[in-house]
Amino acid sequence: MKNSLLYILLVSVTLISCSKDFLNRPSLNNPTLSDYYTNAAQVEGATGLLYNQVWYNWLDKAYHCIGEVYGGNMLTSAGDPNYGNNTYVYFTVQSTDGQDLLAWQAFYQVAGNATVLINTFQQIRNSSNASFIDPGIAEARFIRGVAYFFIARTFGDAPIVTDPVALAGSGDYNLPRYLQSDVLKFALNDMAAAEAGLSATPYQGGRVTKYSAAGMAAKIYLYEGNYDSAMIKANEVISSNQYSLYPSYVDMFTTAKANNNPESLFALQWIAGGYSYANDIQAYAGPAPLMKPDFNTGYSSVIPTLDLLNAYDTGDLRKGWSIMQQGYSNSNWKNSLFPSGFSYDTTVGGGADDAYHITNGTRSNSLKYINGPANNGNPSDPTSAFGDGLCLYVLRYADVLLIYAEAVLGTNASTSDPSALSAFNLVHARAGLTPVTSLTKQQILHERRVEFAFEGDYWYDIQRQGFTMASQIINAQERGTLNGDGTINHVGATFTTPSQLYLPIPSDEVVADPKLAMPAVPYY
Amino acid sequence: MQFIALCKSRFLAGRFIKTLMVMKITVFLVLVASMNVSAKVYSQKLTLTEKNAPLDKLFTEIKKQTGYTFVYTESILKKARTVSLQVVDVSLEKVLQICFQNQPFTYEIVEKTIVIKPIADAEVLIPVATTDITGIVTDPDGKPISGVSVEVKGIKQGTETDVNGIFKLKGVSASAVLVFSSVGYEKQEIVASNNPVINVSLKLNSSTLGDIVVIGYGSTKRANITSAISSISEKDIKNLPVAGADQMIQGKIPGVTVTTNSGQPGGGVSILVRGITTVNNNQPLYVIDGVPIIASTSSGGMDYLGGVAGQTVQSPLATLNPNDIASIDVLKDASAQAIYGAAGGNGVVLITTKKGKPGEGKLEYDLYYGQQQLQKKLPIMNLRQYAQYYNSVLAEGTTTGVTDTIGEFLNPSVLGSGTDWQDAVFQTGNIQNHQLSFSGGQGKTNYYFSGNYFGQDGILINTGFQRYSLRMSVDQQVKNWLKAGVSGNLSRSDQKLAVTDGQQSVIAAMLYNSPATPVKAFDGSYVNTTPIAGVPFGNAQNPVALAALRNVHSIQSKAYGNLYAEIQFTKDISFRNQLNYDFQLNDNTAFQPNIVNPDGTVILSPSKLRVDKSDSYYYGLQTYLTYNHIFGKHALNFLLGHEASYNHYDDANVSVTGLTLNIQSLSAGTPDPAAPAGGSTYDGASESYFARLLYTYDNRYSVTLSGRRDGSSNFGPDKRIGYFPAVSAGWTISNEKFAQDWKTLSFLKLRLGYGSVGVSSVPANTYTTNIRLASNAVGLFGQSGVPGIPANVGNPSLSWESVVTYNAGLEAGFLNGRIELTIDLYKKITTQMLLATTLPSFAGLDPNPPNNNYDEIEPPYTNAGQMTNTGVDLGITSHNIKTRDFGWNTIIVFSQYKNILDKLNAPGAVLFGKSQAFAPVTLTESLAGQPVGSFYGFVTNGLYRTMTDLTSGPTPMLPVGVQGTWLGDIRYKDLNGDKAITSADQTFIGNPNPKFTYGFTNSFSYKGLDLSIFLTGVYGDQIYNYSRMETESLFNVYENQLSTVLNRYSAANPNGSLPRYNQYNENNLKISDRFIENGSYMRIQNISLGYNLPGKVIGRAKISSFRIYVAGQNLHTFTKYSGYDPELGAFNNNVLTQNIDYGHYPNPRSLTVGANIVF
Repeated sequence: MKNSLLYILLVSVTLISCSKDFLNRPSLNNPTLSDYYTNAAQVEGATGLLYNQVWYNWLDKAYHCIGEVYGGNMLTSAGDPNYGNNTYVYFTVQSTDGQDLLAWQAFYQVAGNATVLINTFQQIRNSSNASFIDPGIAEARFIRGVAYFFIARTFGDAPIVTDPVALAGSGDYNLPRYLQSDVLKFALNDMAAAEAGLSATPYQGGRVTKYSAAGMAAKIYLYEGNYDSAMIKANEVISSNQYSLYPSYVDMFTTAKANNNPESLFALQWIAGGYSYANDIQAYAGPAPLMKPDFNTGYSSVIPTLDLLNAYDTGDLRKGWSIMQQGYSNSNWKNSLFPSGFSYDTTVGGGADDAYHITNGTRSNSLKYINGPANNGNPSDPTSAFGDGLCLYVLRYADVLLIYAEAVLGTNASTSDPSALSAFNLVHARAGLTPVTSLTKQQILHERRVEFAFEGDYWYDIQRQGFTMASQIINAQERGTLNGDGTINHVGATFTTPSQLYLPIPSDEVVADPKLAMPAVPYY
Repeated sequence: MQFIALCKSRFLAGRFIKTLMVMKITVFLVLVASMNVSAKVYSQKLTLTEKNAPLDKLFTEIKKQTGYTFVYTESILKKARTVSLQVVDVSLEKVLQICFQNQPFTYEIVEKTIVIKPIADAEVLIPVATTDITGIVTDPDGKPISGVSVEVKGIKQGTETDVNGIFKLKGVSASAVLVFSSVGYEKQEIVASNNPVINVSLKLNSSTLGDIVVIGYGSTKRANITSAISSISEKDIKNLPVAGADQMIQGKIPGVTVTTNSGQPGGGVSILVRGITTVNNNQPLYVIDGVPIIASTSSGGMDYLGGVAGQTVQSPLATLNPNDIASIDVLKDASAQAIYGAAGGNGVVLITTKKGKPGEGKLEYDLYYGQQQLQKKLPIMNLRQYAQYYNSVLAEGTTTGVTDTIGEFLNPSVLGSGTDWQDAVFQTGNIQNHQLSFSGGQGKTNYYFSGNYFGQDGILINTGFQRYSLRMSVDQQVKNWLKAGVSGNLSRSDQKLAVTDGQQSVIAAMLYNSPATPVKAFDGSYVNTTPIAGVPFGNAQNPVALAALRNVHSIQSKAYGNLYAEIQFTKDISFRNQLNYDFQLNDNTAFQPNIVNPDGTVILSPSKLRVDKSDSYYYGLQTYLTYNHIFGKHALNFLLGHEASYNHYDDANVSVTGLTLNIQSLSAGTPDPAAPAGGSTYDGASESYFARLLYTYDNRYSVTLSGRRDGSSNFGPDKRIGYFPAVSAGWTISNEKFAQDWKTLSFLKLRLGYGSVGVSSVPANTYTTNIRLASNAVGLFGQSGVPGIPANVGNPSLSWESVVTYNAGLEAGFLNGRIELTIDLYKKITTQMLLATTLPSFAGLDPNPPNNNYDEIEPPYTNAGQMTNTGVDLGITSHNIKTRDFGWNTIIVFSQYKNILDKLNAPGAVLFGKSQAFAPVTLTESLAGQPVGSFYGFVTNGLYRTMTDLTSGPTPMLPVGVQGTWLGDIRYKDLNGDKAITSADQTFIGNPNPKFTYGFTNSFSYKGLDLSIFLTGVYGDQIYNYSRMETESLFNVYENQLSTVLNRYSAANPNGSLPRYNQYNENNLKISDRFIENGSYMRIQNISLGYNLPGKVIGRAKISSFRIYVAGQNLHTFTKYSGYDPELGAFNNNVLTQNIDYGHYPNPRSLTVGANIVF
């Protein structure tokens, strides 16, 4: 009967009520936390990411702005808005500056990622007693310590967050700034925990070890002026005999083949090609003709200062290993413009940059972290517009040696302590220079400048000298460029107040947390 | 009620009571209702002779002769009259008619059963003396009108006029009142008076009260509406030369603010229904013929080819052919939206498409063709002015630091005007539209088919939009109780894009590119920079080359529609099953060739091709029952339904580089190591129950109750269900007795509504902590697996966002509907917003959620915050003059709202809107107590013009000196009074939300001519003119500037209005009110003049109507805004970045000619 069929149809349709599972749609793309970190490989994968992308916003431009442009080793190309419109050259960075904010965000992002991992791992450890978690916790604490070291050096007094998740749930984000000394102490505590939890040798090439933590602690102690502790920690690294200076200084910075060499205690790991995963320094620091055929790379956005060019001692091989100037050539770097190898040519009579010539303000480019053009003919050393796979050194053995020498010198005017001289001369002699027989603070600082040029560290070396000395150094620097006729168009920084020692806390942050504008309080 | 009465019958009790007991109320209603299905198949003949016989005796006799049984309650027959009759070989129908004549009950036939039931109050007895009536219904011009409903008042007898306007009614009593009604005409009543011929001329109706309004899962007359719903019809939006229906309703609907986000053809459109509902996505729900459109459309980011991504969100309606739209109804308040529950929070736009109408088939062809161009050019310096500017900067070398003398510029008067980059980048674009449709209805079938082509060139070179679409719709009366239909819409749209909005926008780069650089060299190759006196002029990226050589497309192929079956159990009860589907393929490609000039100059490199394909599908099943009944003065409409839907999205992308011979093919290149292949898959589901009751008493008092229970997969197991109730009431005062004598005020109605709706738009699976698989990081430390790190902080207690609206509305009609006024006041409160917790950056989680950055751990989403919008919507329609030959109508639409973000998730929490740049800067801050998206920065107070200015006031931001703060620099205000200019002196400097928006339409008709003038405008908003930060930057002497920079401060021009040339610092380029501009504008949006060819001319060609017209769109904008176009919208529909002009694609001006031809 027609109606009966109709009733059956109606009942079946109307009574449709989806099963409970109909609304349950777990992610189809990824696992969730409840079923992850169940083995060592997953833990190692997570901590591995702390060496990479999380640092990108710093590496991208703030790295040069702060460590190099502030420090007087590099210039930004005329008023580049991406580099703070010359404000890092003139020492007029303001709290609304984009790179200031990016540096702040990057360091805290590193710390935040590390902290979330530490806390997540700790919860798993507490509930499952899985011992494969432990090295992961120590490794993440190392990274967090480094991040807070950068925060303390860059911004001075600063907030500390140990549980972002709890903070997010609290509804009250008005944290105070903590004294810089306490932020450094927080970093040192992380280093101590990392040293205790890490193995003596890396479980994978490039992973940090307990000596990485000791070396980093030495660097923090030196920054604080705690020379005794710095010396002890540096000596731990030296006496382990596990690290040595890499014979080819230039290779360390120009080919991925030297990645994670015996000189490297802690280096950021990059993967060629991927935006934000790769080391993109050459895109900004490299000259355009070299980077052909890539279009969006080779901006010469940051170039060596005349001041730095003049700082190298005669015969210091590091100048040629670190800087490209007229006459530099590299037969391995081939591209469509330079089929038989790249040569650096600034000789164009008063003309502009063209496809082959480079006429930037100081007629020079940094060579560090320059990997060559995309088609450099070396598939094992790939590069692209988004960057290459060159590790970025945060701590290398040469640094530990110079820390040791400086720690031994301490507050003395000079020293001829054999162990200090020996450490210093290892670095000095690799550059083809004659060993020294006594050491002063000035010598060590100068050595650090030329040894670590373009490695993002020089500003901090100046800064830790205190306002008086730092302002003398900065104000004496030539930050100008060459005119077409070779004369210097002088530019100097204006470093007049101690507040210029630290970058301003970004104004976005102060709006969100007005306590950041108030005086710092102790954390411990 | 009727069905209750039936329940008591023996028939039901005996046969179905057991079944009923186990059924839900829905099914109960359905079954009961189905008893009444009538079938007119009683052809048996009877022979009977009875005198004063009781009825039951007759029943027995009839059963004997025909086999038909009778069903009744004993009590009902007690009131029966006896019957006398003598018939020979008469039909059952006739016999029953005699038996039931003047009885206090009537009957219905179900199969072979005759059910006896009481007569409803409204029904009157069918009189005996009858006449067959015929007639013709015409319009005021004497043309026949088809489809006019002709009903006998009070009984179920009626018909419609045919194509020739002719109707026929059989057996109409002399006292019967015939009611003639048709949409668009005034209802007319005529007493039959035994006239066999009744010809009627209907008057045009100016009132909209009889219009049918779509209310979601049904429709009703406007007069019955108790909530805030605005409607427009096809005629209001036809022939507008824009890609999407969303742009067409701009300025036409009170309370709906429409702003195009970009002049890019097919580009994004911001639609705000009554202000900003939430800091999240504000896009309303679009429902087309019951099908919710959920697939989003966005192009691929331009960043893959290098640079910033630019605007990527496109209009979801651009893929749909607006020519098929019959009407658009917008549900504006929660009492109207609640039937859509969790999906309705941002407002609901119900689009009804054209269907075939009964009558002779109609063939219709619409076309227009036009041209589009830039509305205005900016006064950028030409080469002579530029050289003059350069020389003046050089002359002040001691303070400007510019020392390179350029010999070629020394005498500007000998120079030409140089390259006009605006002319090089903008073009005149063609626009055309062709629509062919066939529609009609014969007997039980109505059909509509259409095909459409729309093509538009952008006014920016190498941009454009094309769309091909097909629509088919068939409605079939399968049985007299069953109607079924299917509709299908197929479209393919192809959008060609350039980078717009942001640092690398073609327009931004064009604006400051030097007039000294040619676009191309003599050999035809592009030029980047040209050395002049050893100084390079130009841009590393030639904007024309960028736009012309790259090939970026976003192609959408879409199919959507529905399949339904509707069972009409009785006149009152219907039951509808509808299956909705929406299937979309997106194909985004970005291609860049490798272009290197013979001299080695790289124009574009390397060659790259990215292909990003995704597919999404949606299906939903709706079942709902509608019960409509009028008894006495009570009118009831009840709806009960269930809906379940599922959607699925799948995406895959791959990129190659090193393309052989620049061939745009994946096979011509090798995988790009910078962009490994990727993809993702998502799905989601929802299930809902809904109900609505509309009750009207005596056409005076109405109340609507509605509610929806929604379940969504977006929330955790314990929080999936949300309940959304609403109530509204209306009082039609003019129907009260005391109002009968009102002369001027012919209609007056008061409405009050309250309702709660929700928003569930939150990224999928945020209630749980997901692991981000960093596929790009494979190989770190030689590891082979994909490493994973927490992607977010899960919040299992995440639940629905709530939007509560209070609405008070007044509708008034004057002079019999000559003037109609609708005014609504509302307050909309959004609470429990689905907020990505905004933490300061130092917390270490993503400080700018929900921008899902590559390397950040997303903070938890929480239900927090509150936002209030208060506003007024006003609509006035006036038929100023209405004569046989001349008509003049005016429509005024006014929308006002005030938005305040009352609180966020924490007292100090801020949502930032950033610039589109490599180092983004904060432009807007949204925090408690401020309108959303408020501009934030410094306040200027003129320039430092004297040394006293520099030294006497608050300490400038930079030390006093040529390289610091110097004469001619901007003097910012010390707002906090600490005697120093610091970042603490920033404040809110502008509000991008308008004080009000309006539309003003005047249409005139004189015989066959019609003229319409439509003005639209925005008042009281502010714009951040970011482009002017580049074009008046006075920062880099090699970049071109607006000619205003010639009047800058210098030692020689101490009264200059702009600050000095300053390449040492960005002090003058702070985010400040220097770049805030008044965004108010009034625009002549459309003027069209049409002519209907006279019938005697076209009749010979079998054409029934032929209209030709010319129209101008966006003809002139009255504004003080200095940029291209004050209509800016929101970058990617984000309310945090509204009204920011940074390389924005201006809306074009168009002139079109077109025709509508109906055969």
